[in-house]
Amino acid sequence: MDRTPDEPSDTPGAVSRRPLMIGAALAAAPLAPPGIAAPARAQDAGDGRLRVNLTVNGEARQLSLDPRASLLDTLREGLALTGAKKGCDHGQCGACTVHLDGRRVASCLTLAVQADGRAVTTIEGVAREDDELHPMQQAFIDHDALQCGYCTPGQIMAAIALVREGRAGSAEEIREYMSGNLCRCGAYAGILAAIQDAAPKMRGA
Amino acid sequence: MSDTSFPDAPRADAQDKVRGALRYAADDARPGMAHAALAVAAVARGTVWRIDAAAARAVPGVRLVLTHEDLGGVKPPGFIMGGGYGFQSIQPLTSPQVAYRGQPIALVVADSPEAAAEGARLVRADLAAEPHQVTLDTPEADIVAQADSPLPKPMFADVTVGDAAAALADAAIRIEAEFRHPAQHQSPIEMLSTVAEWRDGHLTVQEGTQNAEAIRHGLARQLEIEPARITVLSPSAGGGFGQKNSLQAHTVLAAEAARRLERPVKLVVSRAQVFHGGSFRPASRHRIRLGADAEGRMTALVHETDSQTSRHDLFPTQYTELSSRLYGIGNFRGRERLVRNDVQTPGYMRAPYEHPAAFAVESCVDELAYRLGRDPVALRLANDAAADPVTGRPYSSRHLAECLRRGAARFGWERRSMAPGSMRAADGALVGWGVAIGAYKAATAPAVARLRLLDDGTVTLGVGGHEMGQGMRTAIAAVLQRRLGVDPGRITVEIGSTGATPQHLTAGSWGTATVVPATDEACDALLRALDALPASRTPAERLRAAGRAFLEVEVSRRAPGQPEAVIGRLATGLPAAAGPAYPEFVSFSHVAHFVEVRVEPTTCRIRVPRIVSVADCGRVVSPRTAASQLRGGVVWGIGAALREVSEVDPRHGGFLNADLAEYVLPVHADIGTIEVEFVDEPDPRLNRPGVKGLGEVAMVGVAPAIANAVHHATGKRLRSLPIRVEDLL
Ligand code: FES
Ligand code: FES
Repeated sequence: MDRTPDEPSDTPGAVSRRPLMIGAALAAAPLAPPGIAAPARAQDAGDGRLRVNLTVNGEARQLSLDPRASLLDTLREGLALTGAKKGCDHGQCGACTVHLDGRRVASCLTLAVQADGRAVTTIEGVAREDDELHPMQQAFIDHDALQCGYCTPGQIMAAIALVREGRAGSAEEIREYMSGNLCRCGAYAGILAAIQDAAPKMRGA
Repeated sequence: MSDTSFPDAPRADAQDKVRGALRYAADDARPGMAHAALAVAAVARGTVWRIDAAAARAVPGVRLVLTHEDLGGVKPPGFIMGGGYGFQSIQPLTSPQVAYRGQPIALVVADSPEAAAEGARLVRADLAAEPHQVTLDTPEADIVAQADSPLPKPMFADVTVGDAAAALADAAIRIEAEFRHPAQHQSPIEMLSTVAEWRDGHLTVQEGTQNAEAIRHGLARQLEIEPARITVLSPSAGGGFGQKNSLQAHTVLAAEAARRLERPVKLVVSRAQVFHGGSFRPASRHRIRLGADAEGRMTALVHETDSQTSRHDLFPTQYTELSSRLYGIGNFRGRERLVRNDVQTPGYMRAPYEHPAAFAVESCVDELAYRLGRDPVALRLANDAAADPVTGRPYSSRHLAECLRRGAARFGWERRSMAPGSMRAADGALVGWGVAIGAYKAATAPAVARLRLLDDGTVTLGVGGHEMGQGMRTAIAAVLQRRLGVDPGRITVEIGSTGATPQHLTAGSWGTATVVPATDEACDALLRALDALPASRTPAERLRAAGRAFLEVEVSRRAPGQPEAVIGRLATGLPAAAGPAYPEFVSFSHVAHFVEVRVEPTTCRIRVPRIVSVADCGRVVSPRTAASQLRGGVVWGIGAALREVSEVDPRHGGFLNADLAEYVLPVHADIGTIEVEFVDEPDPRLNRPGVKGLGEVAMVGVAPAIANAVHHATGKRLRSLPIRVEDLL
């Protein structure tokens, strides 16, 4: 049971337990003062807050942010996009997984100001224009790849990214590259089946 | 309705879940919401003699800090197993006493989560530490024999059947062994979270829970207000697993802060704090003595247990409910003791007693099979019970043998060679095949169900129960669909929130056997009421023909043998379930697990590539969600056997690995193929639809099946969980 596979360095998007733990250690360090934490592009709004521009699910948003705010809290509390869930706030569970410029990240470990000028996609943004479900969402229903549903948005975001990363080649590979997303309900068999079902449909789409 | 199997159907709330649209408690995000964070004690026991919140109060955006110095008036909730509502009897922040490491000592409320977290970090407390004990093995421990304790009897009396001592003395074969199970944490991915808000003197609490009514009545007690002034909303919980079965310690703090600030307050207990902020599975020790005759008939079993409890509560145990009834053994003696530790009160975690007890008993039964040179499946079949050995009453249904036979066939058990270490994979890995069985009481809670049919054909069913992922909404919809011919899109299921029907605790695997029969009887009542209306094609047309806008019926249902007084307990949020022993019969669900492990010969790494599990939970009402629940239970068994332990350092108290990287849950890469199957035979003696419970039996027996498979692969009997690589090196 190889839970912390050595991850090839050419797959920055993959979320597995080891890199997440490194991230968690960093997050536990005291927060740097705003001037250091914020990337150069974010504008100081004058009251200790920073003005950032994000594209969220295709929509341009200008926000004035507490520099300490995580992307997760910003999505949930600031934009009322509560699909991404908080299961640990330490990069250890994957429930908060979103896409940042198409790559999966733990949004709890990503400062919102780091997303300045970038595109964020959340679970609310993966269905098609006409509201038709994304093939991965449909496959999760068809294979009952969920129980309580709390990890589900993160699992789906990770699964979509995993297919795009070309990591859906085999059951073993899927299991490795999904191992950063915990499901306490134990829906793993259904999630694997859902990914195997949706991957060819995504490629064909 | 019990005659035929139910069809496969999608999970009722799956659409919302895959869209991220389902609202859990902490998903209430509104302008004006205040955010709260806890500061906790860093000693294992002691007294707060000075607390300084000045720095916290000075953080921009911080609006309120509560400590024991200013939480005057809040009363303790009472212990859920002692006539109260709380997971433990004490309420943090109501006195300077610290009973365990991680106990909250301050609540900081601010305009943003960031300010609240920073404020909580800045709370300074001077604590006078006192000596503490945090393990079962602590010298001079305060040990309470449950039989001599004030805990209610006969519920928590020692179980005695026949004369175990004499039968053991006469036994041709005796197995004696001690087993250890560590403390573990339920760890649902949704953390303990509450949004509290007051409007015109009425408190509304949103919290993912298994027991909305206990939160309501417990808060009424704590705040000394009428329960009618409190509403608790919990339409969906992000997992519970026993942790969310009662009023938590943080809830009243959020409510009190919301009252003082006159704005809604959201408190999401951090993951590290959840490890000390709610209950946990207590560490336990099991001494087993098993006697059998030369033919392999088990004749005597003695099961003695020690289990952690807190200094302030007696968390009772019922480990011997499983061991006394798993087989037809005529002589049994149980003795259960509680060891007082300086911890928060332990509590229920999926299959709280049955999983550790099955690990002990089923490991010994496997050992017996090897002493006899007898196939482990055949030995189990030969010792099946014809009637309940404790009461002598018949089982309402018992299909354990069927589980074993079907599982063995599907797994290919006949290809197993008996000798340890005799099977190898092509890559050189040692292969081990193990089996174990499990049981879990088929309990039932009282329920009130209210069913309303509208003239547009829509149906609303309210009943006492909580959806936490097990599929209760889907099961209820399946019944309504079958009985009333209404399609799922026209069904609304109202569960988990107080106000309409009383919300009994959903735990102990009694959810389905509680709400499905109640829904079924509500359908009877509705159909009877419709009979009085003019005949027409569909129920909705009959309503329209009669000029009625709607028809509503209400039924109240108790478990077999329950007195009418239980409805009063139901209405006041107290646990009121019955079973497994009913007046005429005894009811259990059963399961058999067949496990393959592979042990890599040099590193001794253990993998579980394949498990076959066959369960008897009566009639399966929702086949798709039931299969997921059974697989999930198997995943839990894998975690318990090979991964999960809440580490304790006796010097410091508390739990060391209080996060999801260090408290190791099973991940995708740990899980191989899990094949599940149901006997799907209704149990109409227990209730007319014939349903029993599934959520917990699913897990019982997985850990010993894995341990037995490890023995088969390696020849080593491992009696302490979790099994680790170093145990095999
Ligand atoms: S909440 Fe971000 S990884 Fe757990
Ligand atoms: S569905 Fe409950 S945690 Fe995954």
